[in-house]
Amino acid sequence: MRSRTTTGLALLTGAALALSACSGGDVPEPGDGGNGDGNGDDGSSAEVTLDFFTDKAAWEPSFEDMNTASDGLAPQLSFTGYSDPTAYDAFIKQSFRTDERPDLFTWHTGDRLGELVEQGLVAETTDIWDQAIADGYVSEDLAANYTYDGKQYCVPLNVVYWVIYYNQDVFDEHGLDVPTTWEEFTAVANTLVDAGVVPLHQMNIIFEFVWFQAILAGMDPEAYDGLSDGSVSYTDPTVVEAMETWHQMQSDGYFIDPGVTTDPQTLLQTGETAMAYFGTFFTGQLTDLGMVSGEDYGMFVLPSVDPGLADTPVVVETGPLCVGTDSENEQAALDYSAWWMGTDAQSAWSDSRGDVSFNPNATVTDEALAEITAQVTGDGYQQLRRYLEATPTPIYTVAAEEFGAFVTNNDDPMGHLEAIQAEADAYWADQG
Amino acid sequence: MPTPRQAELQAASRPKNAYRLSSIGFVAPSVLLVAVVLYLPFIWTTYISFTEYNGLGDPTWVGLENYREMFADPEFLTSIRNTLFWVVGTIALPVGLGLLIATLSHGMPKATWFRLPFLIPYAVSGVAVGVIWSFVLQTNGALSQALEFLHLPGSELRWLLDGPLNTFVMIGASTWQGAGVNALLFGIGLQSIPKEPIEAARVDGASGFTLFRTMTWPMLAPLTTVVVGLAIVGSLKTFDVIWGMTKGGPGRVSETLALTMFKETFVNNSYGLGAAVALFLTVVTVLASILYLRRQLADSRGA
Repeated sequence: MRSRTTTGLALLTGAALALSACSGGDVPEPGDGGNGDGNGDDGSSAEVTLDFFTDKAAWEPSFEDMNTASDGLAPQLSFTGYSDPTAYDAFIKQSFRTDERPDLFTWHTGDRLGELVEQGLVAETTDIWDQAIADGYVSEDLAANYTYDGKQYCVPLNVVYWVIYYNQDVFDEHGLDVPTTWEEFTAVANTLVDAGVVPLHQMNIIFEFVWFQAILAGMDPEAYDGLSDGSVSYTDPTVVEAMETWHQMQSDGYFIDPGVTTDPQTLLQTGETAMAYFGTFFTGQLTDLGMVSGEDYGMFVLPSVDPGLADTPVVVETGPLCVGTDSENEQAALDYSAWWMGTDAQSAWSDSRGDVSFNPNATVTDEALAEITAQVTGDGYQQLRRYLEATPTPIYTVAAEEFGAFVTNNDDPMGHLEAIQAEADAYWADQG
Repeated sequence: MPTPRQAELQAASRPKNAYRLSSIGFVAPSVLLVAVVLYLPFIWTTYISFTEYNGLGDPTWVGLENYREMFADPEFLTSIRNTLFWVVGTIALPVGLGLLIATLSHGMPKATWFRLPFLIPYAVSGVAVGVIWSFVLQTNGALSQALEFLHLPGSELRWLLDGPLNTFVMIGASTWQGAGVNALLFGIGLQSIPKEPIEAARVDGASGFTLFRTMTWPMLAPLTTVVVGLAIVGSLKTFDVIWGMTKGGPGRVSETLALTMFKETFVNNSYGLGAAVALFLTVVTVLASILYLRRQLADSRGA
């Protein structure tokens, strides 16, 4: 009798476990409540709390500031931040296989956004862009980063201009002025090398591609653009010349040894490198070290390598804020996206981040950043997409490895360019 | 009509059958759990390895293309070479050093205190070990500066930039972390060896290395099997220390199979190729474990 009871109990337990494993537990169905108190269709989207996911975990205080700014005007954000971008990307991709699609999430432009658009996973934002362009909140140039088959998807979370940061004390000590031509730039670098100061920062991981980007864009912007659609080969003479220039700069001692893994902001602060080519997000990292813009450091746009260029190329990086298609609060998230592009929201964002804004009407409190923004969005400058986003992922992957090896060893550039072109050939052949 | 003997047998088998049935009931949830969290993902990974897949939408069947691409890539062969370095290095250094520490400290008064400093790094996570050692080993880092200060050779070496040097120094960092726990395990093994045969060997005149080689080492064999077996499997999967120190670079010069798998899948979004590497790594790990354990168990049966 006892054993029969035990058997029955065990079988029941097993069956219960099996059933609970198969039932999907307490996964809510779309529209059954959750965070949202409304879907925005009734005009009450400001009451909604959006599930917001990002790989920018360190930016949480700024997103909290935005909740204060959007209070009563637009939805609030319920923040989930990831510190590891790789884990974050995998999480977002997996979430699209479940019923819990993110209302709002940060992503990447370029190929990676194209993948989501192709699968119909992000909501279209063409109307929002049309309105924002009409209101003067955003440039048409920037829209190109968000356009697939003539339609826009996502809105810009931020923009970053890639410029040269320099240590003011080092410049003062060696009597250096901000260079306005490539010739002056190399003269500054040579003076520093002669004085035993390393002119420039460089890395062999993460940002190993940036000097290739800077030199080629400054030499021939059309060739730089042509790499992104396969119309120009990595072994074309201009590209080879850009690599040779980089090779020569490395040979001349312009760059710090890439094996030094100290943070670039620390190297710039201590004067171990006099300059660093970085996006304007670098301002925040220098501020964290207590450095003051205009006193401890300054910034300038890298002059064109080719003095004959009509416009000075400036590399722009932008990251999107996306709405998941068929997410629980899709309409409210789109309402938030529209609010996000407005001047009030962008002024609050710029103030909180201490960074530039894509909206030219937004108040940028940091004077140096405001000047740079006015400069690069004005006449005489041409905005180009960052190499990482402009290059199809499989080609970028190989290029990053090759540039990393090139930076490390400063060997013959041709082998590296041929390796990247081999991958590019395979990729474009595959695209038909 | 059963005979009395048959009736007796039936009666005896009834509780046995009930017992068996209840056993199945208790085991079923575990079997189900293992099937769901281990075998189903394994089957899914195997399927994905024959497809082209970026993590979105549906995978596209490409047959053996990922495997062809994998073996045609010279960097993959570097990855295999580095993995082999890790296997040999891990057996030679953390296991060897652990045995040395355990043997030297065995019988010492307060041996635990001797072993403790070696054991503490084991509490540190692999990624943290990577961060600590990359500070020491970066170009012009603590090690290079110390060597230069002491006028010793090597200060000019680019520890983390040149392969396979970077793999060797990372095995060194891993040794710093792992030797202590091996010493602990070997220490337990040494304590479990009966004193009598050792004493008898001493009476017969054996001492020092001879005593260790002829008596202690053979009697430690069961524990050595476990420690070396774990070291082989652990080294084949090595990931965190490398990720913390070089991320497999510069380029891909310090990648191991585990890093290749991770990078292809999650960094490059080539889920199919990553799955092919994962499957290859699984086959290698399982084969290595089976071959090693069969040999060791055969040896111990023969002994």
